[in-house]
Amino acid sequence: MKPSLGCLSVNSKLGLKRHGRAGRIAWFGGFIVWLMATALSAQTIQLTNAPSQSPPLMPSQAPTSADNAEASTTNALAPSANAEGPNIYKTMSLTELMDQDVTSVSKEPEPLGEAPAAIQVITNDEIRRSGASSVPEALRLADNLEVAQENAYTWHISARGFNSDLSDKLLVLIDGRTVYSPLDAGVFWDLQNVMLEDIDRIEVISGPGGTLWGANAVNGVINIITKSAEDTQGWYMDGGGGTELRDFGDVRYGGTLAPNVYFRVYGTYFDRNNEVLANGAPAQDDWSQGQGGFRIDTGGPSDDKFTLQGEYYNGATGSTAVPGKDDVQSGDNVLGRWTHTLSADSDMSLQLYYDRTNLSQPELAVGFEPAGIFSDSLDTYDADFQHHFSLGDRNKITWGAGYRFTHDQNNNAPTLAFYPAPLNQSLFSTFGQDEIELLKNLHFTIGTKVEHNDYTGFEVEPSARLQWNVTPTQMLWAAVSRAVRTPSRIDHDLEEPTGLPKPFPSGVIDGTTSFTSETLIAYEVGYRAQLGNKVSGSVSAYYNDYNKLQSVTPTANSLIGGLPFYLENNLEGATDGVEVSADYQMLDWWRWHAGYDFLQENLHVKPGEVDATNGLNDTADPKHQFSIRSSMDLPQNIEFDTGLRYVDTLPTNDGHIAETVPSYFELDARLAWHVTKDLEISIVGQNLLHDQHTEYLYPGSSPTQEDIVRSVYGKIAWHF
Amino acid sequence: MRRQVFLLFVVLLSCIAPDPGHAQESKEYQLKAAFLFNFAQFVKWPTDSFTDADAPFCIGILGDDPFGAALEETVRGETINNHRLTVVRAQRMEDLKDCQIIFVCRSEEDHVGEILSQIGTRPVLTVSEVDSFARNGGDIDFYLSDGKVRFEINPQSAQRCGLRISSQLLSLGKIVKPISGGN
Repeated sequence: MKPSLGCLSVNSKLGLKRHGRAGRIAWFGGFIVWLMATALSAQTIQLTNAPSQSPPLMPSQAPTSADNAEASTTNALAPSANAEGPNIYKTMSLTELMDQDVTSVSKEPEPLGEAPAAIQVITNDEIRRSGASSVPEALRLADNLEVAQENAYTWHISARGFNSDLSDKLLVLIDGRTVYSPLDAGVFWDLQNVMLEDIDRIEVISGPGGTLWGANAVNGVINIITKSAEDTQGWYMDGGGGTELRDFGDVRYGGTLAPNVYFRVYGTYFDRNNEVLANGAPAQDDWSQGQGGFRIDTGGPSDDKFTLQGEYYNGATGSTAVPGKDDVQSGDNVLGRWTHTLSADSDMSLQLYYDRTNLSQPELAVGFEPAGIFSDSLDTYDADFQHHFSLGDRNKITWGAGYRFTHDQNNNAPTLAFYPAPLNQSLFSTFGQDEIELLKNLHFTIGTKVEHNDYTGFEVEPSARLQWNVTPTQMLWAAVSRAVRTPSRIDHDLEEPTGLPKPFPSGVIDGTTSFTSETLIAYEVGYRAQLGNKVSGSVSAYYNDYNKLQSVTPTANSLIGGLPFYLENNLEGATDGVEVSADYQMLDWWRWHAGYDFLQENLHVKPGEVDATNGLNDTADPKHQFSIRSSMDLPQNIEFDTGLRYVDTLPTNDGHIAETVPSYFELDARLAWHVTKDLEISIVGQNLLHDQHTEYLYPGSSPTQEDIVRSVYGKIAWHF
Repeated sequence: MRRQVFLLFVVLLSCIAPDPGHAQESKEYQLKAAFLFNFAQFVKWPTDSFTDADAPFCIGILGDDPFGAALEETVRGETINNHRLTVVRAQRMEDLKDCQIIFVCRSEEDHVGEILSQIGTRPVLTVSEVDSFARNGGDIDFYLSDGKVRFEINPQSAQRCGLRISSQLLSLGKIVKPISGGN
């Protein structure tokens, strides 16, 4: 995704309701009071002890592992019927038991002691079985995300709405390092190429995460966690090719540097073919990228643990704005973390990282300004400290402090520029959270984050959460939180000059120095349960009250269609919705997963203000979305997985024409054969139902709008 | 719409029947039950830890039981050194005073310190899945790594109460030492 904003013009009006804030708070407050009253009275009747509480929503680190036991050559598949399980396992040796895979298709859901939030976890095994070949494809597995592929290298990903051009309300971290770009307040998905095999899990939280994660975690947080070097020992190689994913290869080697010091080094490369234009002709968006990196972890019985990891990447994508030319990107980063265990209930961690991202993209001529090349280099230096400890019997406290320094250097093009070209920014932050055990199965968590940034000064993001473990297998939670999205360089410093002399407009779209933070107050409730042996599920519902959303103000009396446009904060409104997710273990070897999201959006212009598209600029979201997946472990070590998804019509209005992306059904499938314990051959089909289909488009961009084609690829993966 | 959504939750809540207390018999707990059975075989208890030669070998489960029927099925008909295996469940330590192995459930996570000091130096093998249990003075704790069951083992705390752990068990677990300054 590249920062690009076209011309805008006023759209037709929409009638919208106002929501009384007092009424809403009263309703929600009443619900909370009812919840607590029921919980407290239930205590006197039923003394069910609940499972222990989860740790707070923390930036998770990869789990450590045992030394590899000598593995015997056992079948990777689950033994037959549940009732015979114990009789078979008790005859196994310890080494055989340690080789049994709990996370095969017949895995039971995690215990319910999880965080009081709408969190979904994508495991390494789910990623492998889905046939996903990139992080965005893997993110389709989270039911609470909207994932729309625009072209071969551009993805629009968001949670709970606002999946427009600038998906700016989702914070994404890889091993604790933020990959959210301050340039345009979004994520460049084409730069995030984590080797999927070495991902331990992806945690996807929908809902505001400002209290723990800071600004820009407005609608959600994605936390990609890679495995510790201790868990990636030995050689791993894979390679393959196909129709869209032309060819790819990954290599990794893990070993030990010293007793309890583990390392891995890896390299990955892929070359993706272009997608097609709406008329079926090939587009220009092919994409190739290489990345290499290392990771070192210390393990063992020490109270101190260290991690050091780094990577370098380089790639190019065919420019869709200037066909025939390439956008080039490269970067490197290094991160170190030290965790020290102080006592049974207390530990602290210190994390430092450096990240450099280089982008360069060709720009078209506009007005009298010639074409040129825009390039940007961003250096980020970040330090983060956290401490958890228990205070007495009932309080678990977490607090932390952080500092981030960014140096952004632009080489501005004649038609796309940010001023000042070099910009240094500092971000200070601190947070505190207390998880209070009101009763054994009723926990109340309250916390806040306070940040100071160079554009808007102090920002405060508090949150209160209540978790009630009704029974050991059912949990209810509710939360109220405030979150902010701070201005990006686009909002504040952008200039798109036309080069025209006065009195003609001097620019197309400009940022404003008075642009301030967008704010959200979110009210959420959720329920999670294991219903019997075979079914588990979760439901979340939310009501999000937004203020000061980004809007585009045209210039009055302008000679050309309202130019220049200015970015301001003139929108407000609310969204609400429901997210449902369920797992059904139909048979020991056959498992189903289903997810459904419902979303309503009511945004409008603040009374007395103006927006060029009347509040339709920020959203491109489906009202309904669902997915169904089936996973089968078949005889002869064969796995067969399929996934069907449905995405409702997208109203895409962030241009001068209102358009829609039609609703669609699509299907992915994967067939894999574990030839031996170490060798796996698979064939994956993606987007099988149509020759091509549209998932995203910019209104008015018809000639260059792209569709995603049906594709197939084969892969061989080998551990030794 | 918002009102309907909240009403839906009210309805859902009132329909929730309390769970009858049956724990899940997942593959994970069937495996852990087998591990407990193996621990019983690979650890030596001092001879005076049984009241007499016919006393059963007791595996006690303290807290909200996650094993369901899996543990009984695993130990049915088995013996350790001619003591037949039994399983006892309780919410209080006092009810498990004759057990050789005590499994501390996740529900007791916040009371681990108390539990371990109540056991003191009696020859009891303490096992749990509570995070860092072994580091905090317990003997063995389970964790999952890459989808497989693993265990950490604290040889010092086991030795302190007179248990002898076979070197085979030590070689398969991850050895941890107690946190400095902890129990």
